[in-house]
Amino acid sequence: MRVIDRIVGSRLDPEIAHRLHHLDHRHAVDILAIDSADMARRRLRATTRGGEEIAIALPREETLFDGAVLILDADRAVVVRVGAERWLRLAPRDKIAALELGYHAGNLHWRVRFDGDDLLVALEGPPEDYLARLGDLVSGGRVTHGLDARNEAA
Amino acid sequence: MLKTAMTLTPSPARASAARIGIGGPVGSGKTALIERLIPVLAGRGVDLAIVTNDLVTKEDAERLRRSGLIDPARVSAVEAGACPHTVIREDPTLNIAAGDALEAAFPGLDLLIFESGGDNLASTFSLDLVDWWIFVIDVAGGDDIPRKRGPGVLRCDLLVVNKTDLAPHVGIDLPAMLSEATAVRGGKAMIATNARSGDGIDAVADAICRAVLFAP
Repeated sequence: MRVIDRIVGSRLDPEIAHRLHHLDHRHAVDILAIDSADMARRRLRATTRGGEEIAIALPREETLFDGAVLILDADRAVVVRVGAERWLRLAPRDKIAALELGYHAGNLHWRVRFDGDDLLVALEGPPEDYLARLGDLVSGGRVTHGLDARNEAA
Repeated sequence: MLKTAMTLTPSPARASAARIGIGGPVGSGKTALIERLIPVLAGRGVDLAIVTNDLVTKEDAERLRRSGLIDPARVSAVEAGACPHTVIREDPTLNIAAGDALEAAFPGLDLLIFESGGDNLASTFSLDLVDWWIFVIDVAGGDDIPRKRGPGVLRCDLLVVNKTDLAPHVGIDLPAMLSEATAVRGGKAMIATNARSGDGIDAVADAICRAVLFAP
């Protein structure tokens, strides 16, 4: 198993982009898709779309990013692609519901974003697990919900 | 371990030691698990050091230093001084610094183990601190713990259910508890252990070596 102990660079770097472009013509650019929840790991095993299992063991000061080039050889490259992050959109009906929702989200240490009157929660598990924690806020219709598409690529 | 050189520039960076976390409620057997893991991992040639976390003392570090299982200098203590999860999740700076100091003192370390102070089921590790983490619960804590769906139980990379020997003494249906734990975790890894006898410890060591030391 190949061990990656440094990031070669970004696919946006002009010199690297030039080399990737030529490799891509030869179908020699492999993609390593990594779940957004795993991006902070310095060490992990993963399998590229081409089927090669690789081990990532980065120094503590380096982190993965979308477009990180892990391998750039004369005849092939491997580039990281971050899986889409899913967000649960929660829309409180009124200020009281919003206060209660905010309390629960903080108490449960959820990773959140704000979008107008809505709260977006980063999903690291099934949405049902999150909705169950909100109890009658959701079942009583004081907070409505949906999976958010617009923020997936954020 | 096979390392393959990159071609663009010479490789100046060396991977530092793998860092794993072990968390779980008070008394679930985190320190006992580590005491069992030390000789097993050492027997596999894993060069390791440990950072313990306690609330206001260095109790767990002292226990490990006295154990005779490891060079006392390889055990470092962090006093959380507050809820234990604050120093493994919200601001792990103290633990990162303790890990860095051990790596500087013992070049060539393969593995750093961070033991959290005993906490509640909501306790999770920041991936800024560790690459992979274990959550330890125990049979005597009650067979309803998996059903409570605490973030620690749900999100850890490996759930360890310890003290399996106590099941008949505390009225626990062990197979049912393990089955529920697997179900709430969506099939993610779980190992049942008895840290007193050593049952299951090899499997935990296998999981660590595979996940972060890239053993086959």
